[in-house]
Amino acid sequence: MKELINWLADPIRSFPIFTFLFFLMIRYYKVVGTKKFAYWGLAVVLPIVAWFCADPNFIKIILWPDNIPINIIIILLTFLTWLSLYKCAENDKRIEAGECPIEALPENREKVWCWPNLVYTELFVIIATTIFLVVWAIIFKAPLEEPANVTWAPNPAKAPWYFLGLQEMLVYFDPWMAGVILPGIIVVGLIAIPYIDMNPKGNGYYTFVERKLAITSFLFGWLVLWIYLIIVGTFLRGPNWTFYGPFEYWDFHKVVAEYNINLSEYIWIKILNVPMPKNILLREIFGILGTIGYLVILPLASLKLKLGKELYEKSGAIRYYIFIFLFIIMMSLPIKMVLRWLINLKYIVALPEWELNL
Amino acid sequence: MSKKQEPGMAWNMQKLNKIFAFLSVAFLVTVVWVFLDDYIRPWKAVQLKGMQIKKEKIAKDIKAAEEEISQDELAKLNMQLEASQKTVDSRKEDILKAEEELRLVKKDLKNETIVGGIANSQVSAVGFQYGVAHAEHASNADDLYAKLQVKKKEFADSTERKKILQTKEKELSRKIRSYKKEVTDTEKSIQNIVGKRDLLLGAKNKLKVDPVFVLRNLPFIDFMDPTLKIQQVVLDNITDDRYFRHVPKVDRCMTCHVFIDKEGYEAQENPYKTHPNLDLMVGAKGKHPMKKFGCTTCHGGEGHRVNDFNSAAHMPKDDAQKKEWEEKYNWHEPHKVPIVQFRKGQYEAGCVKCHNNVEYIPEGTVVNDGKRNIRKFGCYACHKIEGWEHNRKPGPSLEKIASKVSKEFFMNWVWDPKSFNKHAKMPQFFNQTNNNTPEFVKKNVTEVNAIAEFVFEKSKKYKPFAKYTGGNTERGKKLVRQVGCMGCHGVEDFAKESKKVDAFVGPHLSGIGSKVKSPDWMVSWLLKPSHYQEDTIMPSFRLTKREANDITAYLMSKKNKKFEELKFEGINKDLRDELLVEYFAAFDPEDVAKARLAKLSDHERTMELGYRSVGKYGCYSCHTIEGFEGRAPIGPELTKLGSKPLTQFGFGHEKVEHSRDKWIQAHLLNPRRWDNGADKPFKDLLRMPQFNMTEKQASDITVALLGQVSDRVPVTGVKQLDKDEQVVAEGMKVVTKYNCIGCHQIDGDYGDILALYEDDINQGPPRLNGQGHRVQADWFNYFLSNVYPIRHFDKDFAATPIRMPSFNLSNEERNKLVALFQHKSKQKTFENLPAKVEWLPGERRGALKLVESLGCNTCHAGLPGSTDEPTAPNLKYAKKRLRPSWIKKWLSDPQAIMEGTLMPSFWEDGESMDTEVFGGDAEKQKDALVKYLQEIGEDKFSPNQK
Repeated sequence: MKELINWLADPIRSFPIFTFLFFLMIRYYKVVGTKKFAYWGLAVVLPIVAWFCADPNFIKIILWPDNIPINIIIILLTFLTWLSLYKCAENDKRIEAGECPIEALPENREKVWCWPNLVYTELFVIIATTIFLVVWAIIFKAPLEEPANVTWAPNPAKAPWYFLGLQEMLVYFDPWMAGVILPGIIVVGLIAIPYIDMNPKGNGYYTFVERKLAITSFLFGWLVLWIYLIIVGTFLRGPNWTFYGPFEYWDFHKVVAEYNINLSEYIWIKILNVPMPKNILLREIFGILGTIGYLVILPLASLKLKLGKELYEKSGAIRYYIFIFLFIIMMSLPIKMVLRWLINLKYIVALPEWELNL
Repeated sequence: MSKKQEPGMAWNMQKLNKIFAFLSVAFLVTVVWVFLDDYIRPWKAVQLKGMQIKKEKIAKDIKAAEEEISQDELAKLNMQLEASQKTVDSRKEDILKAEEELRLVKKDLKNETIVGGIANSQVSAVGFQYGVAHAEHASNADDLYAKLQVKKKEFADSTERKKILQTKEKELSRKIRSYKKEVTDTEKSIQNIVGKRDLLLGAKNKLKVDPVFVLRNLPFIDFMDPTLKIQQVVLDNITDDRYFRHVPKVDRCMTCHVFIDKEGYEAQENPYKTHPNLDLMVGAKGKHPMKKFGCTTCHGGEGHRVNDFNSAAHMPKDDAQKKEWEEKYNWHEPHKVPIVQFRKGQYEAGCVKCHNNVEYIPEGTVVNDGKRNIRKFGCYACHKIEGWEHNRKPGPSLEKIASKVSKEFFMNWVWDPKSFNKHAKMPQFFNQTNNNTPEFVKKNVTEVNAIAEFVFEKSKKYKPFAKYTGGNTERGKKLVRQVGCMGCHGVEDFAKESKKVDAFVGPHLSGIGSKVKSPDWMVSWLLKPSHYQEDTIMPSFRLTKREANDITAYLMSKKNKKFEELKFEGINKDLRDELLVEYFAAFDPEDVAKARLAKLSDHERTMELGYRSVGKYGCYSCHTIEGFEGRAPIGPELTKLGSKPLTQFGFGHEKVEHSRDKWIQAHLLNPRRWDNGADKPFKDLLRMPQFNMTEKQASDITVALLGQVSDRVPVTGVKQLDKDEQVVAEGMKVVTKYNCIGCHQIDGDYGDILALYEDDINQGPPRLNGQGHRVQADWFNYFLSNVYPIRHFDKDFAATPIRMPSFNLSNEERNKLVALFQHKSKQKTFENLPAKVEWLPGERRGALKLVESLGCNTCHAGLPGSTDEPTAPNLKYAKKRLRPSWIKKWLSDPQAIMEGTLMPSFWEDGESMDTEVFGGDAEKQKDALVKYLQEIGEDKFSPNQK
């Protein structure tokens, strides 16, 4: 069983599983968003977690002081995701029945004083958070490590936990992409959301039916492409950034077979069986064309879809194209991951001469 | 949300207040917790218990001190005190009067000090003003001059008055003292008796847990002047390598090891124990005081961390201790510590990083055993270790091997040296855990064949210069035992003795008859080893032809029948070609490799494989083989092994504890174990051979190697050999090369063969105690190249004549040896002799009388009236050999120089046995004898000198 879980946990398998579960959750959010489901879920998950924790290798990695915040984040995220789905489901049922959302009920629209209702409770939160942080600092003391040595890097060398998603992306992308361009676009994209999202629905109340696309695409990026990668980076990447299953001992000398090939090498050498062209642009022409096609033709082609057309009409050309651009950039990550696993693809466009690898 | 609240309120105010109250209390608790967590440190509890132990000890000492006090005497003194008090009391009025007077004088004196001080400052000020005015030719210069004189007068007057007052003060004080004299004297005598106890009581008082103690150690207040505090030493001369810079080492171990540098706590449990051997380590007056060398300099680990037991990277010595620590201290493997502490028994590893420029480290028993074993097994030959480069190859030269052994022997020997001689130092390469499959064995056999062919072809022609003419085995056996062979060789027939001496420099002599091809070779070798091999360290024993023949007869009679019957399988040409193709195909395709092979003749192929195999197994690292001059040794360098990151050690799939020392030890015991479970091709198999060493040997070597760390101790912190020590260290290299210490003890160390002369140590090789002071340098130099028997007059000795062999020393080596002893005894090169002995009146007669009365001539030869059978050296040759100052020292107390010597002590405790000559003046007598020896001495280094 543990072997099976170790095997399943490999990103090659766990990523599709996670993605599938994500869409299952979105599809059946009304089932997920019930208290009954939550209780059942807890009843099933708790014994499993207990069984996991009985494993020495698993408990070791879970209790590593650096990893405690990630444990907390996973629990919190699960709860908060469920909570929002629950609220959405409640409201959506009412909306379908023609009623107003719970937040719009007259008693919930009543106004209250800022003091003491807000200020006082904020003070509570301040105190409670301070207590929590102090107690945490006492129990999990900040570890003292060996003096930094330029010739002897720690292995695995891990980024702070909130950057582990980015570090995991380095497995699939050139540092320029994973370290500079993609994070930049993520920040810009997040800033741009309020300007792109013109849907006035859902203001001040939870709903899913009225904001299907927005919620699905955001949660996909957040849960599957960010949180999932942090989990992998934290718990499943050991020495040499090699993958280790949750029950696997971090053997320093574990070796995995990985040999990656560029798209140009695939096409010229493997398929066409001819030498690589000397001109580097010509050499990478397929990747370049593919990338341009992905970035230019896909947004245009998306207009042919019904969904695309509707959105275009609603939000206008500029907003629409920005949205589609951000969306396909986001989707480039899972695409690249899948390509890596399926055909060991290294780079779609490999121009190390220009330090440009995609 | 329920709607029970007041308008405008989302919550019930009461409820909110309750929450606030709860949170406030929780916050308060957390704050207290923070302080407590910061305040309660494990080491504080340790220090408190340390105080308790100290108190108990002081209480015991007080008791002992009280027992020492004679109560009778104390009572007597107390009575005396009462009586004298009465006497003093009777002078009460005088005393009071004098004291009152003194008070007034002191007042006047104080006043005069002020007056004089003011006057003095005015003199300086006016003096400066006058000086300026005078230089500027100012009009008021004269006025100022007059004023200066007035002030000077004032000051002088005040000084005079002060002197008078001071005299008065002294007088009065003396008067008062004399009035009280009886009491003070008695008090002093009492203090003499009880002083020690009172001091101890004072010390005990300091340890009292009183309100002041509590206050000083109270949380938050303890930042000012706590009594419980972290103790530390900061070392300027020794640094910690923080990679970007070196910082002074800080050790805080004594925070818990509170009595580590204090005598008297030897019996306590750790951490309260005193450090053993304070004279050598830690003790303030020892060689390595704690203030200067700290703790982790030698012990390793993290001396600056005192969070808890684990943070210092303590390492348990064995599983039992590990378990104990796990229960007691929650011990766990240190994380993120570059160099953990050395385990108990491995501490001497810490010596190596500073004492890396000597052959052996004084008082380092374990590390010296490690070094001895490194020398014995020749680790340094295949692995470069800094500081070992000067050592010669541990194996014999193979340049003329064909004349010594047969090819068949050679191959059987290489295959399994231990099967011929279980004491063989040559390790085993073949039939090991990683190459004992039939396929690999066949390949190995082919390789060994090729090696033999190659080495024998390269072997130069050699013809023994002597002929074996037959000899007596019994006599030969006796000679081997007596003449001194066993200082370097073990001998099969003397197993018990061999074990005692544990000689390793020469091969263990067993089955020689099955090894050496011809007795002629043996005779030649024994007569003149350098004839066969120029740079051999085997000395000539100046054997007669008969002796050499006897020894040859004996050695050649020792055969190993079982080994002789072994037939080594011949070369498999297909496998040979296959192996060669594999070599050739390293960078070329197989076709090219095969073509290259095809160009070689059958013989060339065997030679090629032989050449490659010698290179592959590193034979050339230990043996001189033609064609491999200057090739780097085969093994990885070990200079920094102790700092190699643990992750760079290949533990393979072996269940060996992941630590440096365990890896090294496991590796030494079975070097091929890391190949277990690794499916490797033939050419990539591990090649470090099996030495069959014992666990003890392996752990000793481990200690010596663990100390090979990369931390650079600053020059000021490392043991710097002074001028003398440098010369000694250089000389010791020669000493270890020729194994002088196999026979000779040098100032109490070494002298392996002396183990055979426990019954009468005087029958063994002479002990070289203070040898540099004993002999003249030019005589010593002469002796080393012209050995002559000094003691062969001795009948007992002549029966078992161990003899100093003649070594084939180079000039440089001989000089180094002479200088070694001379600098070890801190002596000049020569002690000058007067051209002519100058006698004082009557001195010569005295000397002659002494020779007679002390009976020098009953033992020593060379004196008037010496016996025909002398038992002590001929004193005619003492003149050039011995230094006069040494002779005098020797005469004073022979036992102090050479314990167990037969030379009697005639001037014990400075009193002469002969009280007549010079009125029994010991110094004069000894001087006269020294002069006498100069007079009768011949001007020759040895009787043989022409």
